[in-house]
Amino acid sequence: MNTVEIQNVTKTFGKQVAVDDLSLEVPQGSVYGFIGPNGSGKTTTMRMIMNILYADSGTIKVFGDRLVGTCTDRIGYMPEERGLYKRMRVREVLEFYGELKNGRNLRTEVDGWLERLDLSDWANKKIDTLSKGMTQKAQFIATVVSRPELVILDEPFTGLDPVNVDVIREEVLSLRSNGTTVILSTHDMSVAEKMCDFIFMIFKGKKVLDGTLASIQNQYGSDTIRIRTENGTPALEGIAGVEKITDFGQLQELRVAGNHDPQEILAQVMSRTRVTSFELARPSLHDIFVRIAGPEAEEVHDA
Amino acid sequence: MPKSLKVALREYKATVRTKGFIIGLVLAPVVMGGGGIAFAIFENRVDTRDKTIAVVDRSGLVGDMLVDAAERRNATAVFHEETGEKIRPRYVIELASPVEGDPNPQRLALSNRVRSREIHAFVEIGAGALHPREDPAAARVSYYGENAAIDDVRSWIGRPINDALRQLRLTEAEVDLSTVTDLFDYLSPEPLGLVSVDPETGEISDARRINEVAVLLPPIVLMMLMFLMVMMGAAPLLNSVMEEKSQRIAEVMLGSVRPFEFMMGKLIGSVSISLTAAAVYLVIGIAVVSRLEMGQYVPVDVLPWFFVYVVAAVFMIGALQAALGSACNDASEAQSLAFPAMVPIMIPMFVMMPVLMQPQSAFSTGLSLFPLFTPFLMLLRQSTEAGVPVWQPWVGLTGVVLVTALFVWVGGRVFRVGLLMQGTPPKFSSIMRWAVRG
Repeated sequence: MNTVEIQNVTKTFGKQVAVDDLSLEVPQGSVYGFIGPNGSGKTTTMRMIMNILYADSGTIKVFGDRLVGTCTDRIGYMPEERGLYKRMRVREVLEFYGELKNGRNLRTEVDGWLERLDLSDWANKKIDTLSKGMTQKAQFIATVVSRPELVILDEPFTGLDPVNVDVIREEVLSLRSNGTTVILSTHDMSVAEKMCDFIFMIFKGKKVLDGTLASIQNQYGSDTIRIRTENGTPALEGIAGVEKITDFGQLQELRVAGNHDPQEILAQVMSRTRVTSFELARPSLHDIFVRIAGPEAEEVHDA
Repeated sequence: MPKSLKVALREYKATVRTKGFIIGLVLAPVVMGGGGIAFAIFENRVDTRDKTIAVVDRSGLVGDMLVDAAERRNATAVFHEETGEKIRPRYVIELASPVEGDPNPQRLALSNRVRSREIHAFVEIGAGALHPREDPAAARVSYYGENAAIDDVRSWIGRPINDALRQLRLTEAEVDLSTVTDLFDYLSPEPLGLVSVDPETGEISDARRINEVAVLLPPIVLMMLMFLMVMMGAAPLLNSVMEEKSQRIAEVMLGSVRPFEFMMGKLIGSVSISLTAAAVYLVIGIAVVSRLEMGQYVPVDVLPWFFVYVVAAVFMIGALQAALGSACNDASEAQSLAFPAMVPIMIPMFVMMPVLMQPQSAFSTGLSLFPLFTPFLMLLRQSTEAGVPVWQPWVGLTGVVLVTALFVWVGGRVFRVGLLMQGTPPKFSSIMRWAVRG
């Protein structure tokens, strides 16, 4: 069963097409990652699912129903920019947001979440006394305190230190294990790769990727060589069959051109330098993202 | 509980619980009635130094009589009857002989004495003052001073000069003044209300004595209170909505409540804040007035209308403010819209006195039936002694309800679009488009 079903949805702002004929299905209990460059239409799509923005055409069903003119308490929404009343105390503001969603046992829920996210000592402090990371955790609690069945998180990890990234990630996965459907947008491809059951990429308002990580990578095949050599990048330049070299310092990633055999490339490299590690791999999500939305793609697109 | 009420409750608590609200509750009437309060406190704090007035009497007729008049005044008005404390300045008349020829050198010399604080002012009485109809130019009485237009001495000196001249005219007409001792006694008409039949006893009741304060104060106080309630409840919505938008709180809220519910919640919260403040002011005000045994001046029959108008005005003007606030991205944009948003509040204040002086005029009636102004001006007219015909408040209220509903509906449409419109400066054309298209 799908929690969200989007069919042929288009949304424009003036002459700007923000979302163009988008169709998408988000299965219940999954973590669905939205990726895409800034301004590609992720937030607009999320706002339309929330019914904050109305689609110009097409239909959006959440929990099997169209949400025209209504707002459901079964969805928790955390926008990219944090929005909490700065002069309210942490506990008050969390209970208030929970009440707006008709949450139950809010006092207990709030206390439990504050404890889990290590904010208990700040419960009676005003929001404007919290650090950015704490505010973000408080915003996360405000989103989930009413136990929504669908949680939409727009850039939940932005601005968090690695410890708090882990904390929020664990809580998101915990929500999923309890049956909650999670939609999250992120610019961190490793997060999307590790956390998301499904990945959806939108670029210039159009869907360009949708599926599991494996299915997306399969579309591109094993066209990537990850290699470590004694002489690094200089030893790899000018090798026939290498379309692109991405230098990570200790490791280089080579994209193999269409009809070339990776073994031939390996032989050429070995003739130039000593190879310490060689792996034939499918492209990473980062690489796929850059192929679609990077300058190289822009050049192809413009041509 | 409906979500709009949850939003309203938060708004109400967030405002009423603050020290700023309590301080504002105390300070607002002080600031608004500051002029009146200062006048009452400092009314008797006058400059009690003696004031010498030079009189150049070209008629040669009234100078000595002015000296006598000043002495009579000084004998009764300068010192407090019981305490003997000096409470007003003595007026000392100094007679200056008129010079022949060009009067300007003498005027300059006297003006320089005023500048050097030697004398307070000087008066020139024309040679033909006794019979002004014969030569009005020669009959002129001129008062020269640094602050002549609002000088207390000028206000006083006119009467003794004219009394003296009248006395001389009667003497010239061979009227024996000793036979008419009360010739210059003045009777002021006593202001009374209309006589009516007492509905309980059936008898004709005495007319109530009215004074200026009793007539003017209740309408002015109620009008100022209405202004204050709108300023406390509706006016802050522009900045409040702008802040919620710029701090992205609005987007979080819209994930939980519909835009219309959100705006209604804010409006209900604002109305509650205004009603709380109004109740506090009225309870304290009535208690104070009753203690001063002036309870009869409280327009009790108008008070229910006052609360109805507060609710309507805050809804109507608050919806306008919230809609404009939703179109703003920062404080500077809100600042630029603050003035136009205040126009519906300021115009009734500008026309308050003309309406108060002639509450039954077509001008007053027409303006008070214009829905944006009805809560202010109809209330003002209802609070006057004359009152208004029974149908007028109801017609006015009908208009207010219709316009309020329209404003809330239109405001809700602008609010929904404006809240998510980031980075676009507010333009009248955009706001109108949002209002029409939603």
